[in-house]
Amino acid sequence: MKCYLDSLRQGQTGKIIRIHSTGKLKQKLLDMGFIVGADIEVVREAPLYDPMELRIHTYLISLRRSEAALVEVEVL
Amino acid sequence: MIKVALAGQPNCGKSTIFNLISGIHQHIANYPGVTVDKKVGRFNYQNEKIEMVDLPGTYSFSSYSLEERVAKDFLYDETPDVILNILDASNLKRNLYLSFQLLEIGIPVVIVLNMTDVAARRGISIDTKKMEELLGCRVVNASGAKGEGAEAIMEAVFSVYRQKERYENFQIHYEMLEPFIQEIETAIAGADLPLNRRWTAIKILEEDQALIEKLDNEQKRLTEKAQACEKRFFDMYGKDVAAFLAAVRYDSAEIVFHRCVSLKHGNKETLSDKVDQIVLNRWLAFPILLLIMIAVYELSIVGGYKLTDYTWPILAGFKSFVIDRLPEPDFINVPMITDLSVWMVNSANALLNYIPVFFILFAMIAIMEDVGYMPRLAFILDRVFKKYGLHGQSTLPLVLGGAMVGGCAVPGVMSTKGIADERARMATILAVPYMNCLAKVPFYTLILGAFFKDAMGIMMFYISTVTLFIALIVSKLLTSTVLRTRETAPFVMELPPYHLPTFKGVVLRAAQRVWVYVKKVVSIVLVVAMALFALLQFPGLEADSKRIFDEKVEKALSTFDRKLQSNPYYTLIDTREKVSTLLNAYDHYKSKRMIASGSQEAQKIDEAFLKKYPNLFILLKPHEDQAAKTVNNAVRQLSNVRKDLLRQIKNEKIEKSFLGIVGHAIEPLTHYAGFDWKINVAFLSSFAARESAVATLGSLYENAKADATRAEEAMADNGGYSPLSAVAILIFMILTPPCIATMIVVKMQSNSYRWMLFATFFPITLGLVSASLVFGFGNALNWSGLEAMGYFYASVVGIALGLGAMPSRLSAWTRANIKN
Repeated sequence: MKCYLDSLRQGQTGKIIRIHSTGKLKQKLLDMGFIVGADIEVVREAPLYDPMELRIHTYLISLRRSEAALVEVEVL
Repeated sequence: MIKVALAGQPNCGKSTIFNLISGIHQHIANYPGVTVDKKVGRFNYQNEKIEMVDLPGTYSFSSYSLEERVAKDFLYDETPDVILNILDASNLKRNLYLSFQLLEIGIPVVIVLNMTDVAARRGISIDTKKMEELLGCRVVNASGAKGEGAEAIMEAVFSVYRQKERYENFQIHYEMLEPFIQEIETAIAGADLPLNRRWTAIKILEEDQALIEKLDNEQKRLTEKAQACEKRFFDMYGKDVAAFLAAVRYDSAEIVFHRCVSLKHGNKETLSDKVDQIVLNRWLAFPILLLIMIAVYELSIVGGYKLTDYTWPILAGFKSFVIDRLPEPDFINVPMITDLSVWMVNSANALLNYIPVFFILFAMIAIMEDVGYMPRLAFILDRVFKKYGLHGQSTLPLVLGGAMVGGCAVPGVMSTKGIADERARMATILAVPYMNCLAKVPFYTLILGAFFKDAMGIMMFYISTVTLFIALIVSKLLTSTVLRTRETAPFVMELPPYHLPTFKGVVLRAAQRVWVYVKKVVSIVLVVAMALFALLQFPGLEADSKRIFDEKVEKALSTFDRKLQSNPYYTLIDTREKVSTLLNAYDHYKSKRMIASGSQEAQKIDEAFLKKYPNLFILLKPHEDQAAKTVNNAVRQLSNVRKDLLRQIKNEKIEKSFLGIVGHAIEPLTHYAGFDWKINVAFLSSFAARESAVATLGSLYENAKADATRAEEAMADNGGYSPLSAVAILIFMILTPPCIATMIVVKMQSNSYRWMLFATFFPITLGLVSASLVFGFGNALNWSGLEAMGYFYASVVGIALGLGAMPSRLSAWTRANIKN
C-alpha cells in the first residue's frame, strides 16, 4: 500500500519510494539517509503528536509531519 | 607546520578527540560574517608544529547549511595537509557517508573510529584492517571519553603526512553517472584547480554554487552544463543526480559496513532506547522536562547567585583597592578621576558579579548538549513553539533568558547559536530579551514595595509569567512580518544516543564561553559606561548653585571650628586641609569598619589606621577620652552635612546633565504613560546595566534623611505617583529594551547592527505604547493599580493564545510547490 510517511502510526514501517521535495529539504533528507529503498520505522510521536521520531538505517531522526508528508512510502 | 582539519558528523565526539589531542592549547575564532565557531589548536608533536582546526560537525558536504559552507570553505581555501575524519563507531554506516565525500576530495584522510568502547558494549566489532584495505586510508581506534588513542592518531597523521606524495586517490564508481562526470571533467580541463579534478566535477554536477563561484568566469557556462547533464541523466534513467549520488554513497557505506562489521547480539534494545521510553513518554515527557529546567534554574541562577556571596568580596576588595589609590575629595569637591573610577569599577563589578552564575549555567548547557538532551527538548516542545514562528530548540534560550522567575538574556541569546532554522533563530534572538531579567528584580521590588505592599505576591506572579507570553507574541509578529522572508531550515534532526559527558570537556566549554562573555561584553559595557558617566556629569553645576553649595560648606566649617576652638586637640584641626584629612579619614574608617566581619578583622583595620594616622586615630576612635569624643561627634556631624550636600549636588547635576535634559525633553512623550523626567533618567541610565536603574532612582528620591527613610518610602511619599502610574512604570520595565550587554550579544548572534538597533528601539516603542494605553485607560476608567495590571495580563495572555490558535501559513514545505 502506497501512502505518505506522515500517515504512518507508531510502530509501523515503510519503504521509501520517492521524496517529493526540492532544494534544501530534499538534500537534507538525502544526507540523513532518506534514499529510495530505505526502511523507516515510526518509533513514536512527540507528546504533542508532532514531530515524529523515526528509525532509519541504524539511527533515530525526528521529522515534522509537514516534512514527513513529502516522503512517499510503501507500507510494510 | 602540519595543517590538520578535523571533520566529522555531529555527535561523533569530535570535540572530545580535539581536546584529547590538542590538550587545552586552543582558541576559538569566529568565522568572519557567520556565527559558527572555528576552534584552532596549536601544539608541538615530535618537534613538528601542528595546527589543528576543528571544523563544524556536518552530515554531508552538500553546502546547504551554514556549518557545511564553513567547513567546505576551509577545505577549499586553506587546503589542509591531512583530514582527520572522526567516526562514531557505534553508528558507522551513516558516518561513512561523510567519509566517502571526504575521501573523494583528494586530501589524505586518516579515519578515527571513536567511541569504540560504546560500540564494543553493543556487541559491534569492526575489522579495521579490512576497512583500511577497502578505503585505502589509515584507520585508528580511539575513545575520546576514556582518553585513549591520542598517540596512535598522531602517529597515523605523521606517517600519512610523510608519505603524502604516495597517497592514492580514492574513487567511488558512480555507475551510469560516470560518462557525465567525464564530460564535466573535460569541460574544466583547462581550469587551474586547487583540488582534485574528479571531485570538482562531481561537485559541479551537484550544482554546488559555492564551488562554481570559485571557478569564477565560467560560472554560467558550468551551471548550464550541469543542468543539461542532469536533465539528460533524468531522461535516460528516470533518476535525479542528487538522489542518485546519495544512493550510491549509502550503498557503498552499506558494503563497507557489511564487510567490516560483525554484530554479536543483533538489534538488541539499547540503553538509549530504554531511556527514551521514559524521557519521551507522552505523559512523562513534560514533568521530566519541567524537573530538568527547574534543576538548571536552581543550580545556575539560584545556586550561582548564592556563590556570588563568596565571589563578591573579591570584587569589593578590588573596588576598595582602586578607591584607596584615588585622590581624596576636598570637602564637596570630589576629583573627577575619583568619581569616574568608582563609576567604572561599579559598572564592571555589576557584570563580573554574574560570572559564577554564567559558569554554572554554561556548564549545565554543555552537559545537556553532551548527554544528548537538547534535540529531545526540541522534539518535545517543537509543536508549541512552531506556532509562534520559533523552534523546539528555542526552549533553552527562553529558559535561560528567564522563562522561570528570572534569568539573563546574555546567555539566552548566546545559546541560540545551535538553532538550525535561520528564521526561528532570529526570532528567538529577538524574543529572548523580553524574558525576565534577573537584574530587574530589585527594581520590581522597589516599585512593589512602594505601591503594592499588600499584593506583592500576585504582582510578582503577573510580572514573571507575562514575559513568556510577550516573547511569544513578539516572535509571532516578527516572523509573520519582517522575518517572513528569512531562510528556514528543515526540522530533520538526529536524536543521538545518550552519552556520558566528560568532565574536562564540560569545564573547558563553560570556561571558554565565560571568557567570550568577559572579553566581548565587559569591554564594550565599560566604554558605554564611560559615555553614560559623561552624559550624567556634564555640563555640571551652574556657577550660581556651585557658589551656594560652597557657602554652605564654609558655614558648616566655621561652626565646626567655633565649637572646637578650646578643645585640646584643636592643633590637629586648625586648618582647612587638616579638617579635610580628618573628615576623609573618618569616612574611610567608618566604611571599612562597616564591612569588616569579626573582631579580628576590625582589629586589623584599627592597626592599619593607627599606622597611617598616628596622631588622628584617637579622634576616629576616642574610647574614654572626652575631648576626643567631642571632636568625633563634630566630625560625624560634618560628615553628614557633606553627605547631604553631595547628594543634593548629584541630584542637581543629574537634572542639569545631558541625560537629565533628555529626560526632561522626552517628558511630553512619556507623560502619556505617567513618567516624569526622573523615571526617564532612571530608564536611560539603566542601559549600561539594569542595576543602575535602582541606584539612580534611589539617589533621586533619597531625601535629606535618606539614611533613615528607604527609597521605597521616599518614592511613595514624594513621588507624586499613584499605583496606576507605578503599573505603567512596571509595564515599561517589563518590556524595556535589553541592556547594553544583551545588545552586544544580539549584535554578535545576528551579525548585524540594524537588528541590534531594532532590538533596542522596538521594545522601547512597544513598552511606551503599552504603558500609555494602560495608564490612559486606567485613568479614564478609574482602575486601581492591581486592576490595571490584571487587565494588562489578561489581554497579553489572550492575544498570545489567539495568535497561537491562528493557522500558521509559514510552513515552507508543501507537496504543491514541487516541480517534478
